[in-house]
Amino acid sequence: MHDGKWHWGGRDPSNSVSDAEQLLCIMYPASAVASFKLDIPDATADDVLDALSNLGDAVEVPRLLVRVITSYLRTYTDENGASLFSGGSYFHSDEPGREPTADQANLDVVDSFSMSVSLMLATIGFARVFRTTVRREDLRAEIDEMEALASRRLTAAMVGLLRSFTVKVFPPDSPAGRTLINTVNQGDAPPRIVVADLQRALREVRAGIRDFTIGSGRTTELDNPNRLFECGWAWGVVKDAPEIATDDIGPQPQGVAQPDPYLYFTVNALDGIADLFSERTTVLGLLSEEQVRLAQALRLRWELTQSYWATIGSFGQERWPLEDLPWRTTDEKESDYFSLLVTSMVVQDLHRRRATDSDLRRVGEILEELAERGRITRRATHEDQAIRLHEPGVGLSLDGSEELGGPRLRWQVSDYAAVVLKRALKVAGMARSTELRDTMTALVDDVWAHVLRRRIPSGDAQNLWDSPRNVFTAIDAKDDHQAPSWYFTERIVECLVEAANLISGSPLRSSRLAAIALDLLNEAEHLFDDELLSSSSEVGPAMRDSLLHTQASLVRAREVLSTRPGTAFVLAGEVLRELDRLTVARREATGAT
Amino acid sequence: MLVIATSDKGGTGRSVTSCNVAYRRALQGSDVCYLDFDFGSPTSGAIFSIDPVSRGTEGGGLHSYLQGKIAEPQRIDVWRQTDRETLRSRPPGAGRLVLLPGDQGGGEFSMTKDILQRCTKLFVRLLEEFDLCVVDLSAGRSYAAELVLAATAQQELRGVPHRWLVFHRWTRQHVIAASGLVYGRRGLIEAGAERGHDSQVLADSIRFVRTAVVNPDSEELAGLRPTQVVWLLDCNKDLQELARQHQLGRTMVLATIPLDPVLQMREQLISDRDVWASQIANAATVAAFDQLARRIADDAAWDEL
Repeated sequence: MHDGKWHWGGRDPSNSVSDAEQLLCIMYPASAVASFKLDIPDATADDVLDALSNLGDAVEVPRLLVRVITSYLRTYTDENGASLFSGGSYFHSDEPGREPTADQANLDVVDSFSMSVSLMLATIGFARVFRTTVRREDLRAEIDEMEALASRRLTAAMVGLLRSFTVKVFPPDSPAGRTLINTVNQGDAPPRIVVADLQRALREVRAGIRDFTIGSGRTTELDNPNRLFECGWAWGVVKDAPEIATDDIGPQPQGVAQPDPYLYFTVNALDGIADLFSERTTVLGLLSEEQVRLAQALRLRWELTQSYWATIGSFGQERWPLEDLPWRTTDEKESDYFSLLVTSMVVQDLHRRRATDSDLRRVGEILEELAERGRITRRATHEDQAIRLHEPGVGLSLDGSEELGGPRLRWQVSDYAAVVLKRALKVAGMARSTELRDTMTALVDDVWAHVLRRRIPSGDAQNLWDSPRNVFTAIDAKDDHQAPSWYFTERIVECLVEAANLISGSPLRSSRLAAIALDLLNEAEHLFDDELLSSSSEVGPAMRDSLLHTQASLVRAREVLSTRPGTAFVLAGEVLRELDRLTVARREATGAT
Repeated sequence: MLVIATSDKGGTGRSVTSCNVAYRRALQGSDVCYLDFDFGSPTSGAIFSIDPVSRGTEGGGLHSYLQGKIAEPQRIDVWRQTDRETLRSRPPGAGRLVLLPGDQGGGEFSMTKDILQRCTKLFVRLLEEFDLCVVDLSAGRSYAAELVLAATAQQELRGVPHRWLVFHRWTRQHVIAASGLVYGRRGLIEAGAERGHDSQVLADSIRFVRTAVVNPDSEELAGLRPTQVVWLLDCNKDLQELARQHQLGRTMVLATIPLDPVLQMREQLISDRDVWASQIANAATVAAFDQLARRIADDAAWDEL
């Protein structure tokens, strides 16, 4: 906010992705963290209001959000009523000396679909609740309009995601096939056996894909059982993707993207889609009937894709392909970042399957190693190649973008540290044993310390992200790091939400500790009863207080025994010591010592 | 503008807060008059430190006027007649500050048509002369409150903005009581509707002022034990939820006045000197008065959601 006006854009000028990210920095925690309650001004937490005081008070903030979100929704709708998901300034040219054309800048991109799904769900939920606290007609009309626009954009984003899903089929002896076989073959098995094993492991995924009825990614080539395949999301709407019959969302644009799945866009799409069937979405009934239908179709792709990559990443009896860093994509590009993305999908899949700690521990170790290799938990040398993961980031060539004339486009991703943090938090939250929780929390702390140092030190965007130069001194000082990167900041906010939900859950209970606490408590109770029995009823005020206090501790210890065994342990310990003092004193009196 | 101060229970700091707000408003440059409608106990003279009228006037106050015994109620120029030296002489740029005291030993009286007419006439005249008229009612439901409700519903006073401030302390009982006074049976809104007010418009012109609020985060409480702070914070959260359920949540609150030793020990105007020179009062208290004085007339603060 500047002079009471909202400012769009940051490091990169305003575009549909960046603006959504900027809004999500507020809207995501507002919808995912219970104490925020921006939608009920009477109940908004005081510290939240303090932090947002720059935007106004408890009444002004939600009204401002309604205005700003509506303006976002209007900006990214064209005159035909079609929602725009353009990459704009996030598109870079992949060919030196040639700038992207205006047509290219208007291309839809999967990042925007995914961010929009999250943002629109947050918006619709916010509108539903805030509306109930509002009585003024004009304000209600504003909220209704915002909700209607948001719902329309949500449908459009879901359609976009359905039209950018892709399945790439290739024979085992093609370059892609050989790379895939090499990746999954961590033992020394003959390729023929590996292919057969792989086909068996992917049987269900393959069958699922053949059942698709709408959207892109339908293919007849999978009927040939000898072919290998890959599935996931391309960078944008796939070339020749069929239109989807649905509510009126305006014209659906022609796709240009080559039908090749990208790990980055796949992970991004999966994250957005997950919000569609979160508990909140279901409980608040945020989706219309038509949207539920689309969400079902997306869910199928979500499950199949996760299952596919988890199968590939953890294939075989020996070392996981994922543990063989760095990951090699079928178009023969290698990077630790790709390993990280596959790890993300494996983590999600483990979450879905409620995996055991032993699997989680393996993933945790990979994350630790990736944090080291990415120079997050290790110091970088001066010309360390790993710095390029953070700045300028990994460049992804967007195949097919050149078809509109102009150069081929590139998408720059530099969220390595944020992804490590987010997945480490996720694993920490899933851990059942205290050891694993402890290891992962330590990793989270280390990565967080790194991320914290990367905040912008001064200026308007102070304490927002991202200024990697603070950590990696080798980065050229001429790069402008004064403006906030909403791309990176939004991802950190996601991590913070994850962390908040992790902390607000109850602590892990150690059964060992509970058993010891119970034993202690038994002894303490027994001794206490004995004390009551042996001391006379006229004990004087000091003794009475002590006994009352002891009794209260015992009651409290019983109360928390199952939920907080550590606390029960300490309480029982205190009681035992107190009782022992009395015993010792008695022995003094009888001269036994 | 007419501002009416009321509360359900006594001891809320209604009078001392509204006197201070009148004083602050005058300092901000408005012409302000203060009407003591607490007929049972007209003690606002004491708050302004005007000794001769500290328990009401003997020279024809609001009682005598309303009952038709005199043509004009007595007026006292606070700047000139206060005993406190630091308040005497009007600061440059300040507006007028006039007190209309009640009669000593006046007591309550019921409303008649004549009284209503005189009351309305008085308001009309004062509103022409002053920017802000503060009417201080007594605690609880009173004839004076009925009278003011009836007067503001009269044709002559339609179109003149009048706003109600309901004072309550930040405790469970006070929250419930204040809610009852406004929304309950025979409460302000119900009684107002009987007198011809539109209940929605009336409801929109009511705001609450929380007084003697203990802020758990404040520096003054640094000496508390951690357990006490935790407990206080939880109580505060509970109260906020209770207030919300009783329709006096944050959006209905115009101001929060912190607990202040000066207000506790002696009910008086707090001058800037008390804060800066002698440092007996807290700056936060004056800031709260100042803010309340501004928000009373700030339409944005009265905006409905």
